[in-house]
Amino acid sequence: MKRGLVSWDKGELPVDELAARLAAVHTVARRKSVDAVVLYSDVWRSNDARYLSNYMPYWNRAFIVVPRDEKPILACALSPRVYPWIKTVTVHENIIASPSPPATLFKLCAERGWKWVGVCDLEGLPSDLHAEMIAGKVELVDIPRSEIRPAPTEVEVWMHARAARMAREVLEKELPAAGERNDHQLTGRLERLLRRAGAEDVVVLVSDGQGPPLPAEGRPVGPHTSVVVANEYNGHWAKVTRNVAGVTSSLSESGGATALRENLSGSYSWESLDDATTAAVISLQLQIRAGDRHVYYGDTCLQGQEGLRVL
Amino acid sequence: MLKLNPERKKEFLELMAQRGWDVLLFYGDTWRKDHFRCLVSVCFTGPQALAVLTKEGEVRAVVTHPWDVEPVKAATGGSVTYVPRLVDGLKSALRDAGNAVIAINGLEQMEARFVRAVKEISRAAPISATADVEEIRRVKTQEEIEWITKAARLADRGYEQFARVARAGMTEYELVAEVEGFVKAHGAEDNFMLVASGGTEVTAMKPPTARKLQLGDSVITELTPQINGYYAQICRTLTIGPPSQKQLESYAIFAEAQQAGQDLLRPGVDISDVARVQNDVFRKHGYGEYTGAQYTRVRGHNLGLYPDEFPHVLESVHYTCKKDMVVICHPNTYLPLSGYMVFGDTLLVTDTGCVSLSQTEKRLFQA
Repeated sequence: MKRGLVSWDKGELPVDELAARLAAVHTVARRKSVDAVVLYSDVWRSNDARYLSNYMPYWNRAFIVVPRDEKPILACALSPRVYPWIKTVTVHENIIASPSPPATLFKLCAERGWKWVGVCDLEGLPSDLHAEMIAGKVELVDIPRSEIRPAPTEVEVWMHARAARMAREVLEKELPAAGERNDHQLTGRLERLLRRAGAEDVVVLVSDGQGPPLPAEGRPVGPHTSVVVANEYNGHWAKVTRNVAGVTSSLSESGGATALRENLSGSYSWESLDDATTAAVISLQLQIRAGDRHVYYGDTCLQGQEGLRVL
Repeated sequence: MLKLNPERKKEFLELMAQRGWDVLLFYGDTWRKDHFRCLVSVCFTGPQALAVLTKEGEVRAVVTHPWDVEPVKAATGGSVTYVPRLVDGLKSALRDAGNAVIAINGLEQMEARFVRAVKEISRAAPISATADVEEIRRVKTQEEIEWITKAARLADRGYEQFARVARAGMTEYELVAEVEGFVKAHGAEDNFMLVASGGTEVTAMKPPTARKLQLGDSVITELTPQINGYYAQICRTLTIGPPSQKQLESYAIFAEAQQAGQDLLRPGVDISDVARVQNDVFRKHGYGEYTGAQYTRVRGHNLGLYPDEFPHVLESVHYTCKKDMVVICHPNTYLPLSGYMVFGDTLLVTDTGCVSLSQTEKRLFQA
């Protein structure tokens, strides 16, 4: 869960970058002839809202409502007592307490005379919110995510790369000495180091060479142990996998290894991706045969028409 | 280790028979894994996982990450299908379900496109099973109580670590990192944790910031480790350096309020009254206005596979407490004496009252 440092470093994520993303959504709104565009957000489906406004919920649901040619409005179910904090880490100046985000949207529609509202991935809404939305008196227009979030920007790529560097550094520091620990102890050390370095969220999975990477279960760390570190740095995930045996592989030419691609900035953070050409920041994980067992090796890459680049 | 919960499976089958449901789906996503885990206790990796329970008792599953196949198969013993997109898996898992009455636990959180797919397969809108399943989950089995007790012990140890490492000059996020690393090293699967530090300007808890702890601060936390899927929670406050008179006065009110809730909690009691007796303590001391939504959220809540289960402990919520519910009573709120303060224990409802699963001393801690 999001219990690490949630911050907005304007040196890393410039105000101008967020302004450009907002302007692009305004352009979509004009092209689609809608009065506003809505993006959904919750604890684990936070990537789209984070992209637009740097809003990161630690709990609960929210809509970001982008009126055509205006600043975004946050309709969230969190308490107004945390709005001063939200304002320090996002672009949001207008936050509306919203036990029901659709109800807030409809109130805005009534006040402002909005008739057409675009919703990013309308069918992807949780079904209770979707039912509320389609029961309203506003015409809804589905807007594919790809129109809101085209190819990753340089800033996005840089942030993912920063997250990947953090993960690689702790793995390279901790794995050589990990043999004396069990996987709980190793997980705890990785979490502590990453969160002290400013990670927003961390998920560690461990494989003993006989099965897939799983949450730690108290198993000893051995020569066939592989460790997957998913590290979120200010809203940008990276996934890096190393193994105690030190087995590596070329990620762009994986040979006989079984490869898994995950989209790190999709609607959910680790969606399996079967398309090897779409421009995206991905995690590429290889399962490599090692005698009667297998080890895992993987990293965070920028995928595009020209191939893969490890970040 | 509990993986497929046989007692729950039996109860869910009875529920299906009572309601006339042919198929019960358990849909979990990354946020609400509990809707899946109440039948199949596997911490899945992918965006979604779905378990299908037929009225004949067969369990099969669909997962959206290849690494989830093996653990889910080991847990269920039934067929497990991996699909990158859940819609495709729904069609496969429900291929024989034409005209079946389908209910879904977690329907509300399920993406609308998935609900539509189920409707197209069964030719009828699926029914929400969420409230009925929650009612079953509310009363814990003995094995679940053992897991929650273990989580409560870890919460105690986690708070001990919190109090040990907190010091002036440390940032909030460094403090959380120390505790997070500790509970993970000692077996926590996950941990829900909020924190805040400062004085009367602190009106709520939130994720940690880069603020450095200072002499005189109140440092508050809600620490909620998860063991084998089950959460227990502890809320405590400490001061950096000796407490002020106002911090002590404030703490005394919170301790009295929490004890009032704990003394009342038993089978047959309306949860509304558990909130009321806590709030009455604040009223008695002249702080009744700080028991409302402007200053606080809830006076506690149920615990289990989700760290914020219903019923919430609020005067506006009516629910008759039952034996083997696990509830945290925490009268956390803002007071002008020393800002937002927290204090709470995880309580197991017994035949005649309740026992605290938390063993951490009830006091205002000092770093």
